[in-house]
Amino acid sequence: MVASCALLSATAARGQTGRAAPGGAGLLEDWSLDSALAYYHEDGRVQAVEPVVDVSKVFADGEALSVNFTFDALSGASPNGALTSRIAQTFASPSGKSLTAGRHIYTIAPGQLPADPNYSDGRVAVGANWSVPLTRVTQASLGGKLSYEDDFYSATVNASIAHDFNDKNTTLSFGISNEFDALSPIGGAPVPGSNYASFEKTGGKTKDGVGALLGVTQVMTRRWLTEFNLSLDRFKGYENDPYKITSVIDSAGNTTGYVYESRPDQRTRKSAFWDNRVGWDTLSVAGSARYMSDDWGVRSDTAQLHLRWSLAERYIEPTVRWYRQTAADFYKPWITSTAAPVSGYESSDSRLGAFHALTYGVKYAEKLSPYRFLPSSEFNLRVEYYQQTFSERLAMPQALQGLDLYPGLKAILVQAGWRF
Amino acid sequence: MNRGMIYLSVLVVASSIASGCTVFGVKPWQRDVLARPEMQLNRDPIDAAIDDHMYFSKEASSGGRSFAGGGCGCN
Amino acid sequence: MRRADARKYYLLFACVCCLSGAAGRAATAADSDGFDGVDAYRGRVVYLDFWASWCAPCRQSFPWMQAMHDAYAQQGLTIIAVNLDINRADAERFLQQYKPQFNVRYDSRGAAAERYRIPGMPTSILIDRHGVTRFSHVGFRPVDRTQYENELRGLLAEH
Repeated sequence: MVASCALLSATAARGQTGRAAPGGAGLLEDWSLDSALAYYHEDGRVQAVEPVVDVSKVFADGEALSVNFTFDALSGASPNGALTSRIAQTFASPSGKSLTAGRHIYTIAPGQLPADPNYSDGRVAVGANWSVPLTRVTQASLGGKLSYEDDFYSATVNASIAHDFNDKNTTLSFGISNEFDALSPIGGAPVPGSNYASFEKTGGKTKDGVGALLGVTQVMTRRWLTEFNLSLDRFKGYENDPYKITSVIDSAGNTTGYVYESRPDQRTRKSAFWDNRVGWDTLSVAGSARYMSDDWGVRSDTAQLHLRWSLAERYIEPTVRWYRQTAADFYKPWITSTAAPVSGYESSDSRLGAFHALTYGVKYAEKLSPYRFLPSSEFNLRVEYYQQTFSERLAMPQALQGLDLYPGLKAILVQAGWRF
Repeated sequence: MNRGMIYLSVLVVASSIASGCTVFGVKPWQRDVLARPEMQLNRDPIDAAIDDHMYFSKEASSGGRSFAGGGCGCN
Repeated sequence: MRRADARKYYLLFACVCCLSGAAGRAATAADSDGFDGVDAYRGRVVYLDFWASWCAPCRQSFPWMQAMHDAYAQQGLTIIAVNLDINRADAERFLQQYKPQFNVRYDSRGAAAERYRIPGMPTSILIDRHGVTRFSHVGFRPVDRTQYENELRGLLAEH
């Protein structure tokens, strides 16, 4: 299940800054196009292909409209949340109804991380954003996004306003957003905390989220721009991952069964974000930091650094990202209990565990000359390597000693893009 | 950093903004560097969207960034 | 930090900030390199435009200014485009692309911009035949062209 992205995402209106007019005034003078094809591959697990296109136009009075399309095709083996074991384990894919018959049964060898090899998902999303200058120093923006997958539909709307002060050296921004998600999990939504082998499923679920963001952008010097944002969001409804289960083990460490995960039906998140752009002659630096905390007990720190070396017709940009998070209060890689259904919240989803992650990558871009009605454009290529390492390991029962229970994650992203 | 220092910093910045007497900032004609594409806060929106999507599906955090400001300050 | 101390430091900081702002203005009252005012053009209507190569709306204003020059120069319109680029090379590259036939002056240190208290980029100031400033515009959008042209025609019709 690929849920929708952050409420107030990075596709903000271009507004007054825009991009300098292309090399030749022509048919596409007020138009911009940004496109990319990304390929994502996790070591031994999921892979995804994702084309994205964004088209925008600036009108004579300064209004701007942009429309974007995203397609996503995922396949591969997706971890189902169960623990590695010394004996072979048998599971059924979400559409299965029993563990004994059917074509969606899969067996995991001893010592292997349980992952559903039949995982595949397709997503189509379309979004639009309209911005209008209300006065020379005030700009309003309205946006929406619709996302559709087999088992997940999402609709988001957002609105924001920005006001400039001090000769446009200071900009104050405020935005709000609302997201509505409807889930119809394949095979049905399992009763949280229930026994996996009972296949107790119910119908469709929904969740709703509201968010607000307050930001200040300040020109510090001729070469340095800084932005500071505070954001808050709250989601209510079905927060579970319907496909994730947690292993129930006995005191010796042998798996005796599985239960579906059970998460609270509400999540409130706060974050503080600081971003900077500093520019010299050929070198420019983009550096940001973010602190996030939510009421599930997760706290995270993120820091990113991009160094861009710009030459006449090209640039090269190495990047690094450092991330760490604490585990959610109810994160349990396994449950030691023989009674099910389990009371209380629990999830073995590794995304809620304590880990740190490092990404390093490089981007290369080259300017292409105008051709016929096409203005001068840019071709770019970027490669990123992402690695997650667990930072907390619980005391392991005897039977599990020697097994790698926290394999972490290694993934590579390759993206090619073209824009004008 | 104790609370007194935090209040002082907030007070100074807020009154700077209110009084229009800025310690930081440039004249409208000194925004040549700030107008460059690489100096925009939303300079690579597709990269950011693809990254956000990747990190959202592998981590517990998402979002935080957005919005305008900076740039050439034109119009 | 005790509250009394904090207040003292705040006042000192605020004073330094205001004084540095004032000092900033005084310091740039030096001569500008290339633009010496519009007095020489008394008797003509002057469209004084402050621009820079990095200013996206300026790219849209140049073809329009050229069209105004072509249409009204003989009726008494003088266009003066004062460039505020810090690097002359950037301005030259821009001018090579647009090849304006109206006057271009240079003010790389921003002295004239400071004197005219330019509030934004671009800024255009319309001065009538008697040297009086009649209209002032900040920014340029294609939708404003008609209004600006009407103002020009109005001033040109006066004696």
